[in-house]
Amino acid sequence: MNIGKCTRPLGAATLMLLLAQAGAAQETLKLGISAPMSGSAATWGLGMEWAAEQAAEHVNEDGGVTVDGKTYNFEVVTYDNKYSATEGARNAQTMLNRDGVKFIAGSIGTAPVRAMQALTERNGVILFNTAWGKSVKGPQFRYTFTQMNTPFEILEPFYSFIKEQHPDLETAVLISPNDATGQELEPVAVETWKSLGVEMLASDWYERGTTEFQPIATKIASLDPGLVDFSAAPPTDVGSILKELDVLGWEGVKVMTAGTSVEALMAVAGDAAEGAYLGASADFSSDSATEVQKKLNAGAREALGEPLNGITISSYDAILALRAAMQEADSVDPEKIKDVLPSVRFDSSYGPSGFGGADVYDYPQQMLIPVIVTQVVDGKAVELTRSNPAELEALSND
Amino acid sequence: MELFVQLLANTLQIGAVYVLFALGLTLIFGVMKIVNFAHGAFFTAAALIVTSMVPFATVELGVPLWAGYLLAAFAAIAVVLSIGALVYSIGFQHVLKDLNGSFILSIGLLLILNGAYLAIYGGAPRSVPQVLPGTVNVFGATLTAQRLALVIVAAVVTGGLYLLIERTRLGLALRAVAMDQEAAMLQGIPYRRVALYGFLIGAALAACAGVLMAPINAVTPVSGDEFLIKAFIIIIIGGLGSVTGAIIGGLFIAMVESVGGYFFDPSTATLAMFILVIGFLLVRPQGILGNVE
Repeated sequence: MNIGKCTRPLGAATLMLLLAQAGAAQETLKLGISAPMSGSAATWGLGMEWAAEQAAEHVNEDGGVTVDGKTYNFEVVTYDNKYSATEGARNAQTMLNRDGVKFIAGSIGTAPVRAMQALTERNGVILFNTAWGKSVKGPQFRYTFTQMNTPFEILEPFYSFIKEQHPDLETAVLISPNDATGQELEPVAVETWKSLGVEMLASDWYERGTTEFQPIATKIASLDPGLVDFSAAPPTDVGSILKELDVLGWEGVKVMTAGTSVEALMAVAGDAAEGAYLGASADFSSDSATEVQKKLNAGAREALGEPLNGITISSYDAILALRAAMQEADSVDPEKIKDVLPSVRFDSSYGPSGFGGADVYDYPQQMLIPVIVTQVVDGKAVELTRSNPAELEALSND
Repeated sequence: MELFVQLLANTLQIGAVYVLFALGLTLIFGVMKIVNFAHGAFFTAAALIVTSMVPFATVELGVPLWAGYLLAAFAAIAVVLSIGALVYSIGFQHVLKDLNGSFILSIGLLLILNGAYLAIYGGAPRSVPQVLPGTVNVFGATLTAQRLALVIVAAVVTGGLYLLIERTRLGLALRAVAMDQEAAMLQGIPYRRVALYGFLIGAALAACAGVLMAPINAVTPVSGDEFLIKAFIIIIIGGLGSVTGAIIGGLFIAMVESVGGYFFDPSTATLAMFILVIGFLLVRPQGILGNVE
């Protein structure tokens, strides 16, 4: 009897505590990240996770997101997709079914993103991604939004700039990873070089995870092209090929369309990486960077040992876009947010931004940010030029 | 002519590590009749230890790079041998000649070790400065001094293993156990102890391969996985349990990778390897030098 008297209030208190905790948990929105956290592309995943955490912290410190009279905080949950479709699908299952994630703030790799889309589109989950493939976009994928520039934004200004710097350039070799990202980039790259009067001597493929690059380096060296374009290859793989090319005495223009992490590149290639042009990197410590970017960049250097780049900083911008869309929709319902996102205006780390790209993708789901061309100079990424897409110019002038 | 010399040099450079790695795998299979899916984890452990020990030795202890590398190499091999002895005593000695049991055990061990490496070292690629900088020209083929050293060391280790197996009592015991375990035991050979030695030699060979690769390629917690797949291809082609087969298979696969990668592309060369394995499994499942059981 006495035990009953004690346990009933204790039980009631425990129940209330659990309910209170459940209530508090409802005010935290989990933002998923699905990115390579291991392997040669791990630097991208680690940086993206860090930038997302900074954005979540920034939003939470600002008082969270208040919609419909209720305040929500952000929490980032990260999963390693190992740059594979299998892991991408597994991550989507875990995020959606176990963790109840309704917003994915960053996902890397066309194949993993495609695998995730099968679930996110069907279940009405917002999917921000950095996939370079065109196949992940279109009016049929209304929950999908791209948070960084892709080949369709980068290639034309990037390649044109390089051709201007090297007007005598006549021949090139393209080496691409044999996956969805590489396969969708390759024809666009070949066509763009061709339009600039550069003959493609060979366009070869390699499997992600390859460790021995001497055979391909031997082939490139024997073809002796004026330029080698490493397409969507991650910095570690490019570093390995550049090192082998250096041993074989090849000297030409080095182009990393997906060039991001100079630190990872230098760690493997050393001086062989000097002079390489990077299409997806940025010098966020330069005068052209915003104060937000400078601060984030310095923080990333301290926390990760390397600066941010176009891929890694994108999760920060995705989260700011998401916050703006939630406030605009006055809801955290992904159904309403996906309708607001194409027209939302927000302050990205680059400055005022929004979404566009309807001319290319038939739906405005491409984040509008500048295309920045950098080059490896004395082991560091130095910004050479930047250009704003026409839609971003128009948006800035509004 | 220069091109073919270069392709041959590429074959030897690539094949040297494949041979060391596959020798360990095939030796363990030959003696214990198990397939060790965690073999790549031994390779990775050694390479990762080198990436962390070299900076420690050169910066903290102030020793020259070559001395730091040697120190790291010994430490890496010692750690791998310790891990090998531990997992043998806890697990593998209970699943000798049990393919199903060893499969489950080694897959589980691989997951645990890969998870541990990821937790300790993080997922980002790690690198070690070249211990022997510069390039050398051998009959028109250009290769780094580091790669040349790798080929020489791998050849010495392979030769040493061959002598150990052919000329020593332990080698005789290993061969006897590999041929017929029960007959070997009837002759007084302590099977479990010989199996332990075989397992440790195999682990040491994987560690050697990892130590040699660390200054050449970027190292990640899953570096060994790529080599493990290649090693399976090699021992299927060379013949499960055959030391000479592993050497022939290793060099053959390296040649396919080198020549195929040059005349076609690396992806096609990889595809060709898998087609070759399928062909061997259909036509000669025992491999080039393996025995039919």
